[in-house]
Amino acid sequence: MKKLSYILLISALAASSCKKDNYDGPTAGLSGNFFDVATKALVEQDIIRGTQIEIQEKGYVVPQYLIVKNDGTYSNTLLFAATYTVKPIRTNFIALEAQEVTLNGQTTLDFNVTPYIRVTNASIVKSGTKVIATFKLQQNVINNVNKIGLYAHEDFRVGEPMRQAETERDLNAVSDPNATYTLEMDIPTKDQLKTGKSYYFRIGARIDIGEARFNYAPTVKIDL
Amino acid sequence: MVMKIYKSKILLILTGMMLFSCNSVLELQPTDKIRAEDLFGDPQGVKLYMANLYYQLPIEDFAYFRAGFNQNGGDPNNGGWAPAMSADEAMHSEFGDFIGDGDYHYWEPGYKLIRDVNLLFDAIPNLAIRDDEKAVLTGEASFIKAFAYFGLAKRYGGVSLIKATQKYTGNVEDLKVPRSTEKETWDYVMELCDQAIANLGPVKGRRASKWAAYALKSRAALHAASIAKFGSRAPMSGNAVTQKLVGIDAADAAGYYAACIAASEAIMTSGQHSLYMPNPASPAVAAENYRALFQNPEVAAENEAILVKGFTLPGNNQGHNYDIWYQPAQVANGWPHPGRMNPTLDLVDAYESYTNPGHDAPIVTTVEGSVTDYNGFNPALNYIRFDSPNDIFKNKDARLWGTAILPGTVWKSAPIIIQAGYIKPDGSSVIRTKDQIDVGGTTYYTYGAPSTTMYSGFDTYGGNNTRTGFGFKKFMNQNTPIVPGWNQSTSDWIEFRYAEVLLNYAEAVVESGTGNAANAAKAINDIRKRAGHTVDIPLTVDNVQRERRVELAFENKRFWDLMRRREFHTAFNNRFMHSLLPLVDLRTLPAKYIFVRVNTPNSNTRTFDTKAYYRSIPGIGANGLVQNPLY
Repeated sequence: MKKLSYILLISALAASSCKKDNYDGPTAGLSGNFFDVATKALVEQDIIRGTQIEIQEKGYVVPQYLIVKNDGTYSNTLLFAATYTVKPIRTNFIALEAQEVTLNGQTTLDFNVTPYIRVTNASIVKSGTKVIATFKLQQNVINNVNKIGLYAHEDFRVGEPMRQAETERDLNAVSDPNATYTLEMDIPTKDQLKTGKSYYFRIGARIDIGEARFNYAPTVKIDL
Repeated sequence: MVMKIYKSKILLILTGMMLFSCNSVLELQPTDKIRAEDLFGDPQGVKLYMANLYYQLPIEDFAYFRAGFNQNGGDPNNGGWAPAMSADEAMHSEFGDFIGDGDYHYWEPGYKLIRDVNLLFDAIPNLAIRDDEKAVLTGEASFIKAFAYFGLAKRYGGVSLIKATQKYTGNVEDLKVPRSTEKETWDYVMELCDQAIANLGPVKGRRASKWAAYALKSRAALHAASIAKFGSRAPMSGNAVTQKLVGIDAADAAGYYAACIAASEAIMTSGQHSLYMPNPASPAVAAENYRALFQNPEVAAENEAILVKGFTLPGNNQGHNYDIWYQPAQVANGWPHPGRMNPTLDLVDAYESYTNPGHDAPIVTTVEGSVTDYNGFNPALNYIRFDSPNDIFKNKDARLWGTAILPGTVWKSAPIIIQAGYIKPDGSSVIRTKDQIDVGGTTYYTYGAPSTTMYSGFDTYGGNNTRTGFGFKKFMNQNTPIVPGWNQSTSDWIEFRYAEVLLNYAEAVVESGTGNAANAAKAINDIRKRAGHTVDIPLTVDNVQRERRVELAFENKRFWDLMRRREFHTAFNNRFMHSLLPLVDLRTLPAKYIFVRVNTPNSNTRTFDTKAYYRSIPGIGANGLVQNPLY
C-alpha cells in the first residue's frame, strides 16, 4: 500500500512537471501558381532540380526551399505563421524581386512571370517505331537557347532531370520564331522503353542563362 | 538506533577525509598523458608527434572511403565501397550508391590537424635542435598544413584560415573565424607550399622532401586553375557565391596554371625523379611493370615514387582491406565478400589500342560495329566470335591488363573465370541465370564452372562477383594468399608519383596555352612509351585527359578531375554505367566466345547534382559560417 502511494506520488509529480510540448506545430501554409503573364497559362516546371521558392523567416539565417510541381503549382501547408522573404530562384522565367509575405493561416501567392522560352504549337505523335515532336520556340530574352529535347518517362512527372529516354539537340543559338523544330525518338534504340507500355513525353528547351531551368510544353501520354 | 549513529559517524569521517585528502587535485599531473613541454623538449618526442601529423594527412589511400580518412580501425566494415565507384571508374558488385551529401567530408579532422600543426609551429623555436633541423621541421609543418588546407579547399571552397594557434580567453566568439574567399584559401595553400619548398631538403625518404612539396603545389595549383577556368560550366548562386566563398574568377586561371607549370618543371628538371621502367621490351612487360609498381611502391623509391604512405603491419589502424574486398572470388581463401571493385566498360573503352594511337578504343562486339547499343543480346546481330575470353582485348593498352583482371586471365596461378551465360545451339540465350547444358558431350555452365568457388563473375551470390565483366588487379597483392580478416593488407600507397607530375604539367600547358608545348607532348608520350606505345600522339586536351584517366585509374584522382573540371554534371546526367557480358556461343562447335555490351545489371541511372561540387559546411548553427549553395 505504501509502495503504491509512492508510485502515485511520483507519477503525479512527473505528470505535472512538464507540458507535452512547448511549441504549437506549424499551422500556416503557402501555396499558389506560376502564371505566364501574357498567356495566363501555368508555366510548366520540374519537380526535381527545378525552380524553387526560397523563403526566409524574419530573424532566421537559414532559408527554406519549396519545390514546385511539374504543372507550375506549389503548396506547402506546414509552415509557421510569420513574415517571410519570398523569392523564386533557379527559375525558368525572368527573375522576380524578393517580396515580403506574412503567413497567417493558409495563404495563396501567385507569381506572374515571363518564361524565358514559350514552347508553342507543340505536337507529339507516334509514327511507326518513332515518336515525333514538332514545336515552335518563342524566346523572351536575347540569350541563346542552348538545348532542346524530347524526354520520356513512365511517370507523368517527366522532364530533363527525370527521364528514361531522351532525344536532345544542342542549338547554342538564338531560336528562330518562325521555324518548326522537330525531334524524333526511335523507340527500338532506347533500352529503357518497352513496347506495350504507356509513357509520358514532354518537349523542353533551356535558355543559356546561369542556372536557368528548362521550359516545357505540357506532357503527352503515348502508348508504345 | 546504534547502527544508525554508527553509520552517520562513518559518513562524517569519510566526508572529512575527502575534504582534506585531495586539496591539490587540480594541480596533479595526469600520469597517462605526456605534457607538451616534455614531448617537444625531446627530439624523440617530436618524431612521435610528426608521425601522428603524417598519419592525419588527408591522403586518399586504401583506407579512404565515404566516411573519410583512415577507415581501418576496429570496425572498418563499409562493404568495400570505394571512391572510384562514385566516379566512372568502377561499379560496386552489390551497392548502387552514388554521392551522398554526407560523403567524403573532411571538416573536423582537417581543423584538428591544422591545430596540431599550429602547436608544432609554436614549439619549433624552443626546440633543442640545430637550426638546419628546425628549418626542415618548419618545411614539413608547412607541407602538412598546406595538405590540410588543400583537403579542405577542394571540398568546401573558401574556408576559415586559422593561421596561428588560437587561445581561448573566455569568449567563444573570439574563436570564430569567418570563411575566406575561395581564391584566398587557394593562395594560402600556394604560400604554404612555397614555405615548405624553401625549407625542405632534397633527401628522399618516407617524410616530405622538397619534391613532395613541389608535387603538392603542382596538384593544388592545377585544381585551383581548373575551378577558375571551368567554373562557368556549372553556374551557382546564393550568399556563398556573391561573397566569393565559392568560385574563382576566370581571369585568375592563368596564375594558377603558371604556378602548376613552374612547380612541375622544378621536379622535371631536378633529375631526382623519373618514370619507373621507362622502356619496356613489350606491352606484356609493360603491363607487369605497371602492376608491380603498385603492388610494392618500394621498387620505385629511387625514381617514380615521390611520397609513399606505408601500411607496414597488419592490424587495426595499420593495415588495410583492399585485398579482401577486391580480389576475385576464386582466390577469396575463405573471405565471404570478395570481388567488389568492378572496373566499368566505360573505363575499359577509354584505353587506347596500339593499332589506333590517340583515340579511345571502345570494345567492338559485332560485325555491325555499334558501341552505343546497350539493348542486350540480339540474335539478329552478327557477334564477332573469339577463341578465348580475352582475345577481344588484344592490342589494348598494357595498363588495362595491369589494372583489371580480364576474363580468363591468370591471377595467382588460376585462370579467373568471368562468364555471364551462353547461347544455346537453338539460338536462345541464358544470361545471368544459373544453368547448365550438355552439348556434344561437354557440360557448359552459364557462369563458366559448376560451383561458386570456381568462378568470379555475374552470379549475385553473396553480392560478390563482378557485374561489369572485369575484376580488379591494380594494388592487389599477388604474392600471398588472402588473410580472411580485417586490416591484414600491407601494400603501400604512392601519394605522389612522377607520372602525375608529368600529367599535371601537360594539362596546365595545354589548358593555358602557355609554357613549352614540346615538353608537354613529350611528358604524355613518355608515359605512353612506358606503357608499351611506340607512336607519339599530339598534345591535345582530349589526349591529356585520356592519358590521365588510364594512367591514374583507381588512384582516386578521377573523382577530383570530374569535380575540378566541372564535368561531373554533364558526365553524369541520367547515366548508366556499362558492362561487357562474355557469353559462350554454342551455336557453333567448338564453342566460341561472344560479348554483349549492356547497362550494368541491377543498376540505376545516376545524376550528379551541381551542388555537390562543394560539400556542405558542417555545424553552421554553432560556427556561424555561410553555407555553400543549395544546402
